[in-house]
Amino acid sequence: MSAGPERGGGALLSGESPLVVVVGSGGVGKTTLAAALGLRSARAGRDTLVMTFDPSLRLKDALGVTDEARDREVPVPVPTGQEGGDGRETGLLEASLLDPRRTFDRLVERYAPDEAARRRILENRFYRHLAGTLSGVLEYMAVERLFEVSREGRYEQIILDTPPTTQALDFLEAPARIVGFLESGALKIALRDWFDDEGHLKASTGWKFLDRKIEHLLDRVIGLEFLREMLEFFQAFGPLYDGFRERAGEVEELLKSTRTRFVLVAGPGEERIPDTLFFARKLREAGYSLGPIVVNRVHPSFPGEEGRLEDGGSRCTPDGRALFAWLGAQDRRGFEQLRSLVHAEQPLVGLPLQPEEPTDLASLDALGTELLRRLDEPDPDA
Amino acid sequence: MTERPHDTSDAAPSGTSGSGAPDPTLTRAGFFVVTGKGGVGKSAVAATLGRASARRGRRTVVVEVDPRENLHQLLGTAPSGGEILEASDLEQGLFLQHLKPRAVVDRVIEERVKVGAVVRKVQASIVYQHFVEGCPGLEELAVLEHARRLLAERRFDTVILDAPATGHGVSLLRAPLVVSEAVGEGPFGTIAREIADLVADPARCGVVIVTQAEEMPVQEARDLARMLGEHLDRRPDLLVVNGLYPPLPRGEGDAGDEAGAPDALLDLWRRRRAINRRELRRLAETWPGEMVGLPLLPIGRGTELVAALDACWSSDPYRALGSVGAKTGRSARRERRAGRPGGAK
Repeated sequence: MSAGPERGGGALLSGESPLVVVVGSGGVGKTTLAAALGLRSARAGRDTLVMTFDPSLRLKDALGVTDEARDREVPVPVPTGQEGGDGRETGLLEASLLDPRRTFDRLVERYAPDEAARRRILENRFYRHLAGTLSGVLEYMAVERLFEVSREGRYEQIILDTPPTTQALDFLEAPARIVGFLESGALKIALRDWFDDEGHLKASTGWKFLDRKIEHLLDRVIGLEFLREMLEFFQAFGPLYDGFRERAGEVEELLKSTRTRFVLVAGPGEERIPDTLFFARKLREAGYSLGPIVVNRVHPSFPGEEGRLEDGGSRCTPDGRALFAWLGAQDRRGFEQLRSLVHAEQPLVGLPLQPEEPTDLASLDALGTELLRRLDEPDPDA
Repeated sequence: MTERPHDTSDAAPSGTSGSGAPDPTLTRAGFFVVTGKGGVGKSAVAATLGRASARRGRRTVVVEVDPRENLHQLLGTAPSGGEILEASDLEQGLFLQHLKPRAVVDRVIEERVKVGAVVRKVQASIVYQHFVEGCPGLEELAVLEHARRLLAERRFDTVILDAPATGHGVSLLRAPLVVSEAVGEGPFGTIAREIADLVADPARCGVVIVTQAEEMPVQEARDLARMLGEHLDRRPDLLVVNGLYPPLPRGEGDAGDEAGAPDALLDLWRRRRAINRRELRRLAETWPGEMVGLPLLPIGRGTELVAALDACWSSDPYRALGSVGAKTGRSARRERRAGRPGGAK
């Protein structure tokens, strides 16, 4: 099988895909790989932004990124010099940390029609306590920031790390969900004038069942006070909706563009396979362009040690050699099984468990180089 | 302050019921929340705690809320599908229940309102649906309420909640407080406050944090412990450090001797173990509670793994922590016995 442009690691960062989205379950090393790809992109001479959520302290140190990056893109001090295939000089590398709460506040600042509306939202109890954790809001805010940055057009390459979510696709579905919500009847209902001057639910809302009896029951179950806060929040938000809807649509278009490439990062081992397959299928079904699947932190095989598998060590302190041989065999089996379950055309590579997590730009660069090299090889694990 | 069991023996003999065991999950019944970053083996630890508890004769249920059911593999049962199933292949008196949070919300509200026809009317109302959709923390709250009731109705001696993995793991534990603050007065606020009190009370609710001795999980475990202090004014009861690589044999010590023929396996082993040691030291510097280490074992996911982890836990809770060159394990216990809790806030 030849390495077509679809497979190639070079193709991933060739300028064909100005946006690369790194997705996968929590704890598989997405953020580190996103940073490594960003560094390689800059090294290849392209101005690059890495947007991340929750990098480890070590990775932040490695990138030279502080909390300042929560508010704006900050430059990563990459040593300059000639590099890259076409002899271009190292490009700009910048990093930003996505902070949903701050993005949300900025959005309110920007779109609120006047000071009174702005304050109504920012001081609303529902907003202060809950809005940041509203389902989908966190993810949506990340997408919002992505949109801002991509529209500014300052970068030739954006690498987007995605937040750890329980439902793997929450992040991608956020714009559609927000649009759906805005277009559902629920919003119109929320925007009605619900309460009369005395703080009772109005019976005149056209909802006949909303008589005093139901009001009493709702009060018993939920509490009218809270309902009022919640409705006020949605009402205060009213003037912002149109801007929201428009942008959510454009963001979805950006994510579904054939030029946007998704890299799916997976953990090693057989037990992760259903997760990985589920993720890959959902991406494809939803119409996103799935690029390579990267099985990260694969324990290397130690063929010479396999005879030791049956050796002991005591039960709770296993012999390390036997353990590593077992882990290597286990992860290899997992990889082979995954290989047999994905489409023959699906680019799939394994990255070995590193002796150390990358702690500086040099080791990140090495990791990125290794990833791209394996992507360029037709069958790197053969 | 939790009462600490009187620790008379440094080497707790295998299989004894409790005395000498340093962690509350083994010494008392009740409600325990097992939380931690995704991928650290949280479910395996929850299952292991469940087995240890059932083995001590306590009727125990492990409750799972992850949308992808997987606990049943570890406990050797069919998928629960919301039912309570006994994991008798693994241990008598050990049960499993998988929950769909939204269904629990509906049930909790049904039970509070009591009149069936009225419940249906309320639930059909758009205000209610809006509320359930839009109110963050509600599902977490309902799950905690469900667990509380399993105990209150004396159906179980011990309930172990395998909390959903999130980027921000404290959210389940914080949910009641957040909701009660946001909702304020009213009946719903009252439920939220009741549960918030439960979660904040170390005598009624144990918090077990699972982590691995690697940078990100350790960072998150420390964040979790800090947030518990800040928001709930309590500390975790137990930290389980899972998946530790075994100590190196004597002579090939952790210090890292570069001489000799290249040996990729030994090199990898030594350096991953070094990461374990470094991160254990980092944890030990500030960790306010008890720590237990569990080894990485050459056993696939299933009942055999749970049984083996349980055996390792019981044989000597601190064994797998090994000599990490820090005050974990015995030295820390000795200090605590001398009345100085390590790194309390």
